[in-house]
Amino acid sequence: MLLAQVLLNGVLLGALYGLMALGMALVWGVLNIVNLAHGALIMLGGYVVYYCYTLLGIDPLLALPVAMASMFATGYLLQRFLLNLIVRGALLNTLLITFGLDVVITYLGQVVFTADFRTINPSYSGANFMLLGLTVPVLRLIAFGIALLLSSALWFLLNKSGLGRAIRATAQNLVAARLYGVDPRQVYAVTFGIGAALAGAAGGLYGMISHLTPYIGSSLTAKSFVIAILGGLANPFKVILGGIVVGVAESLAALYIGPTYTDVVSFLLLVVILVVRPAHALRAA
Amino acid sequence: MTAPLLKISGLNAGYGAVPILSDVNLTIQEREIVALVGSNGAGKTTLLRAVSRIIPATGLLEFAGTDLLPLSPEEAFARGIVQVPEGRQLFGRMTVEENLLMGCRLRRDPGGVRKSFEWVYRLFPILAERRRQLAGNMSGGEQQMCAMARALMAAPRLLIIDEMSLGLAPVIVDQLLVVLNDVRAQGMTILLVEQDVFAAFAVADRAYVMETGRIVREGNVTELSKDPAVRDAYLGSD
Repeated sequence: MLLAQVLLNGVLLGALYGLMALGMALVWGVLNIVNLAHGALIMLGGYVVYYCYTLLGIDPLLALPVAMASMFATGYLLQRFLLNLIVRGALLNTLLITFGLDVVITYLGQVVFTADFRTINPSYSGANFMLLGLTVPVLRLIAFGIALLLSSALWFLLNKSGLGRAIRATAQNLVAARLYGVDPRQVYAVTFGIGAALAGAAGGLYGMISHLTPYIGSSLTAKSFVIAILGGLANPFKVILGGIVVGVAESLAALYIGPTYTDVVSFLLLVVILVVRPAHALRAA
Repeated sequence: MTAPLLKISGLNAGYGAVPILSDVNLTIQEREIVALVGSNGAGKTTLLRAVSRIIPATGLLEFAGTDLLPLSPEEAFARGIVQVPEGRQLFGRMTVEENLLMGCRLRRDPGGVRKSFEWVYRLFPILAERRRQLAGNMSGGEQQMCAMARALMAAPRLLIIDEMSLGLAPVIVDQLLVVLNDVRAQGMTILLVEQDVFAAFAVADRAYVMETGRIVREGNVTELSKDPAVRDAYLGSD
């Protein structure tokens, strides 16, 4: 029974991990940017929800769209005015710029938000119910549902809309996309905006389930990186599945080895994947 | 004589500091099929890139009376200059149908788009059969058909086809040449860039011969194919 409970927790948390990685995988696949500031964007989204709740009294779940919209705008502008300089450039340049961005956002966060631990605590944050003898935490179930919802939305956007086709076309063949009237700068900016919006939603949920500080970004970037490689860059559902694999592995590790080893386990998974299926791992949208 | 659809005069272009094209003059009338021939490295693709606004150029470059030089590639496409690029350049991990949808993505006439779909599927029935297949998994000939269908879906005013015959079996090339006449019958104008001069002359009205970045001969194809210099260099004397 304990094992079943741990697995359930791992699956529910893992879907949220997958949502965190979704934006990173999208940006990586389309723009070929490994965005080291992705975790910092998750952090920003968390604080947007936090302040919407504490200052304006907006229910945190209703504040998620606010976080997504404001993070979309942030991501769009970042891409348009900064990252378009390095898009599809040498990997080292993109890593340097996004690493610098991560440092800047983190320390601006420290100035603006202070280094205090924050938690988003709506009235239902501790609620749970019993199902088949297992305790189901309501908030984690909601996070799971939202992760599935947003990954489905992303799948539909990419595969069934003109914008999504333009995004995939740009990723697959930049020359042909330009010949067929796609403005890549616009596509890149919108794509980065969508990635940031997904990070914003993930951040809000993370702030409700865990806690926020300006420094959570780098460990969440690392986790998203592992999941993006596990799930690949092409299919949103596989990214969520990758998150669930990591979530379950971490939960099992916490149970059998000890909670301090959770990060070791996710990176061990990464090494195994890269050894077993290196080519499969990074196939773009 | 009416105003030409495409008018190029005194055009210079190149890559960075390296000049490739010098003083190129070329005009295409509405509903003409014009061939641009020349050996590898003559500058044909560079000229196409200048017309598609992918590389900077100086001189006169007019399309239907408007100056193309200040436009971006996206704007040139929106005005009806549509290219079938060398090597097909399909979106390999999209289906045939999605590739065609990329062709008509800027069109806002659903009825016209539907007609275009019917038309290109009639021109290339194999594409209708394979429309749910990934474009990257098809044979070379089918991919060329898909690339041409994608371009036709854009309802181009000027269809530019770069090295259509490259790497294809002669029987496929013949099929594609027949299609070009159907395309012209729809009121479109075609610029055909070819190394296969036989194929190009079989369908074109007029031709330009390019060598080391210059136009060295021009005329209608029956005259040009009698020109001894052209025969020696491109058609083989017999």
